[in-house]
Amino acid sequence: METIKRQNIKVIKNIDELFTLIDISLNRNISFHHHLRNGDYVLNHVLSKYKKENIKGINLFPSAIFPSYNMILELIKNDQINDITTNYINGPTAEYITKHGLPGKLKMQTHGGRARSIIEGKNKIDIAFIAAPYVNKFGDAVGYLGKNKCGSLGYCIPDSIYAKIKVLVTDNLVDNLIENPEINGENIDYILLIDEIGDTMGIVSGTTEITKNPIGVKIAKNTSLLLKELGLIKDNFSFQSGAGGVSLRVTKDLKDIMIKENIKASFFSGGITGYHVEMLEEGLVEKLYDVQCFDLEAIESLSRNEFHIPISASEYANPANENQVIKDLDIVILGATEIDYDFNVNVTTDSHQTLIGGSGGHSDTATEAKVSVIVSPLMRGRIPVIKERVTTITTLGKNIDCLVTERGIAINPLRKDLIKKLKDTKLKVYSINELANIAYNFTNIPKDIIKHDKIIGEVEDRTYKIIDNIYQK
Amino acid sequence: MSRSYLFIPGNTPSMIQNLDVFESDAIIIDFEDSVSSFDKDSARILIKNFLKKYSYNEVEIYIRINSADSMYFLEDVKVTKDLDIFGYVLPKASVEAIKELNKLTDKAIIPIIESPMALLKVEDIAKEKNVVALLLGAEDYTKELGIKRTLEAVEILYARSIIAITANAYNLDSIDTPYTNKEDEEGLLIDANNALNLGLTSKSSIHPNQVDIINQVFAPSESEILEAKRIVKKSEETDKGAFSLDGKMIDLPVIEKAKKVLEKAKKYNL
Amino acid sequence: MKTSAGSLESSDCLITVSDSSELKIVIESVVLEQFGDQIREVIIQTLSDHNINKIHVQCLDKGALDYTIKSRLETALKRRGENLE
Repeated sequence: METIKRQNIKVIKNIDELFTLIDISLNRNISFHHHLRNGDYVLNHVLSKYKKENIKGINLFPSAIFPSYNMILELIKNDQINDITTNYINGPTAEYITKHGLPGKLKMQTHGGRARSIIEGKNKIDIAFIAAPYVNKFGDAVGYLGKNKCGSLGYCIPDSIYAKIKVLVTDNLVDNLIENPEINGENIDYILLIDEIGDTMGIVSGTTEITKNPIGVKIAKNTSLLLKELGLIKDNFSFQSGAGGVSLRVTKDLKDIMIKENIKASFFSGGITGYHVEMLEEGLVEKLYDVQCFDLEAIESLSRNEFHIPISASEYANPANENQVIKDLDIVILGATEIDYDFNVNVTTDSHQTLIGGSGGHSDTATEAKVSVIVSPLMRGRIPVIKERVTTITTLGKNIDCLVTERGIAINPLRKDLIKKLKDTKLKVYSINELANIAYNFTNIPKDIIKHDKIIGEVEDRTYKIIDNIYQK
Repeated sequence: MSRSYLFIPGNTPSMIQNLDVFESDAIIIDFEDSVSSFDKDSARILIKNFLKKYSYNEVEIYIRINSADSMYFLEDVKVTKDLDIFGYVLPKASVEAIKELNKLTDKAIIPIIESPMALLKVEDIAKEKNVVALLLGAEDYTKELGIKRTLEAVEILYARSIIAITANAYNLDSIDTPYTNKEDEEGLLIDANNALNLGLTSKSSIHPNQVDIINQVFAPSESEILEAKRIVKKSEETDKGAFSLDGKMIDLPVIEKAKKVLEKAKKYNL
Repeated sequence: MKTSAGSLESSDCLITVSDSSELKIVIESVVLEQFGDQIREVIIQTLSDHNINKIHVQCLDKGALDYTIKSRLETALKRRGENLE
C-alpha cells in the first residue's frame, strides 16, 4: 500500500470546547443527517447547546426530521428557529409546524434536490454535524461499522464536502486506516467524541415486513402482473422499491417471477432491506446501490458484499449529476397518501392537512425511472386515495405513470406507449376518474376541508421549481 | 363450477365490503362460527343492508346460516331469502335439515358434510332438492370420530373420496375442507393437490391469501385446455359417437368432460 | 334504556341509543370533517324511515360506510325493542 502523509484531525472531547473554537452565534445555518433515524442522539445533543446559549435565528437543514428529534420543537417554541429545510418531517414537530408555522418558512426538498442545493451553494450550511458510527483519526468514516452502525451515510456526503465547517460526531474513534471511506477526512475540520451517537434499537426500529394484509397482497399482485405485461421484467432490468409492506411484497412477487423465468436484474437502488440483500446473495441481482439501510441485515451486508455499494445522495439522485444512479432505473414503486386526477401525488401531508412525511426520493425517482408506479389501497377507511386535487403536491403528475390499487389500475394518459401495450390486457385498467368513481360508490365524495389561508412552507422540486405551497391548518 | 369458496365473517364490514377484491370465485358470508351469539342479529341486518345496496356479477355469494337445529336458523333465512344471493351453505347437514331449509326457500343449497352420520347418508343428501354441491367439513368430522388432523390428511381420505364420487355421480360440485394454517402456503398447495387428485372440484378457504393457490390448483392446466380443444374440435368434425385421438379412445363422457374444461377455462379467463 | 351495536374496528362504528325527550345525535368520527354531515344524514334518514323522532343516538365512527351506519343503528334500535318491520 502506498503511504500518503495523512493529517490527524483535531479531536474535541465535548461540545462546549468545540464552541470555544467556533463562534456559535455566527454559525446558525446547521445541518444533520437522519441515518440513525429515530435512534439518533446527535441532533438533540448539538441543539441543546444552541438552546443553552439561546442562539436566535437558526436555520436548520436536517435531511429528515423524526419523532425523537424533540430539541427542534423546543427551539421552535423558544423562538430560536427561523427556517427549516428538509426532505421529510414526521411526529410532534410536524404537527406543531402544521398548526403554528415557523417565523420563517418550511422548505421541503427531495433527496436529490437537497444534494444539488448544497453542492451548488443554494443551501448555505455553516456547520454540518455529521453523526458517524466509525471514524479514524484522519477523519475518514463509514456508517456500516461501529457499535452504533447505521449502514450507508449517503445523505450527508454533500454536507461533508460543501459545508463551511464539517464536524464528525462519533462514539467510535479508531487509529487504523479505513478502506473506501464514505466520508473523506480531507474535508473534515473537527471530530467531536461523545459517549453515544445513538440507540441501535431506534436505528433499525422501523422493522420492515412483507405485508400479509389481503388488500396489500392484491395490490402487489396487480403490480407484478402489470410490470410483467408491460414487458419490464426481463434480463438486466433495474428496480427500486421502498421498505413499505406492499412495496416489499412486490419485490417478493418479482423474485418469484425472476426465479421461475430465470431472469437476473442489473441493480436495485435506494433504501435497502434484508430482502434486497437476500436477492443479491442468491444471484438474482448484480448490484445494490444503497443510499440508506432500513434494517440490520442491510447494514451487515455492506461490509460483506462487494457489490452492495453505499452511494451518496448526489450519486443517487442529484439531477445535475450526469451519473446519478436513478437515471438508469427502469421501475420504481412508490406510495401515496393522495393522488389526483392529474396524477399529482402527495406524501407530504395527510388528508387532514397535517405534515406526515415528504418527498425523500419520491419525486427524484418518479422523474427519472422509465416507469413509476404508485401502489395504494383505493380507500383507507372511508377516505378514497384519489382526489380531484391533492392537498399538497409532492411529485408532479407528469412524472407519475401508473396507479395500482386492489380494484384496478390507472395509467397516466401522457403515457400512450404504456396504454398501447395494455390494449388487450386482462388486467382491470380504468381511467383515473373511473377508478375514483369506483371508490366514491362506496365512500361518497369527501367534503373539501383544506384551508388555504396562510402559507407556512413550500415544496421545492429537484428542479428548484416551487411546485406547491404548504398551508397552516 | 367455482374453483374457490372463501368464508368471510358476516359481521365484519372491512371484509364484507371488499368481498369482490379477493378473487375467490365464490364467497361464503358466515353467520355461524365467526359471529358470536350476541351479534347474530347484527350480522343479519348488516348483510341485508349491504346486499340491498351493492350487487355483484363476477362472484357467487352464499350465506352460511346457522344449523337447522339452532335458534338462529329461521331468522337467518327469513332476513336473507329475498336477497340477491346464489344460495345457502348449511352446516351440520342432514336430509331432514335440508328438507327444513327447502320449506323456507327455493335457493341453492350447499350442505356441509361434517359428521360421520352425514357422510354415511351422503348419497341421500346429494339427492335432495336444490343441492348444488357438497362441502366437506373435516375439522368437526374428525373431532367427532376422535381422530387427529394431519397435513397428509390420510384420516380424511375416505371422506374426501366418497364426497368426490357422490358429487360426480349426481353432477354436483365437491368442495374440499379449508386448510386451517393460513401462514403455510406450501402446506396449502400440497393439501389442495391431494384433494384435486381425489376428484374434488374445488376448495374452501378461511383466509383471502389462500385463494390464489386454490384457484391455480383447481383451474384446468394449459395442456388440459389444449387437449380439450382438440377433443371438442374432432367431435364436431365427426358424426361418430366415439373416435380415437392420439391412440386414445374418446367417447361421450370424455367429450362432455372436455366441454366442461373449456367452459371453465373461458369463465376464468385462462 | 340503553342499547348498542357495532364495534370500534376500522370501517365499523359503535352506535348507542338511549331514551330522550327530543332528537339528539352525537357523532365522533375519524373522518368527521369530511363525512360528519353525511353520517348525520344517514342517522336521521334511518330514524325517519322507522318513524322515530325522540331518541338519543351516539355514534363512534371508525370510517364506516353508510350501509354499516344504517345497520348498526337499526340493530341498536331493534335491541331496545323497536319494531322495525
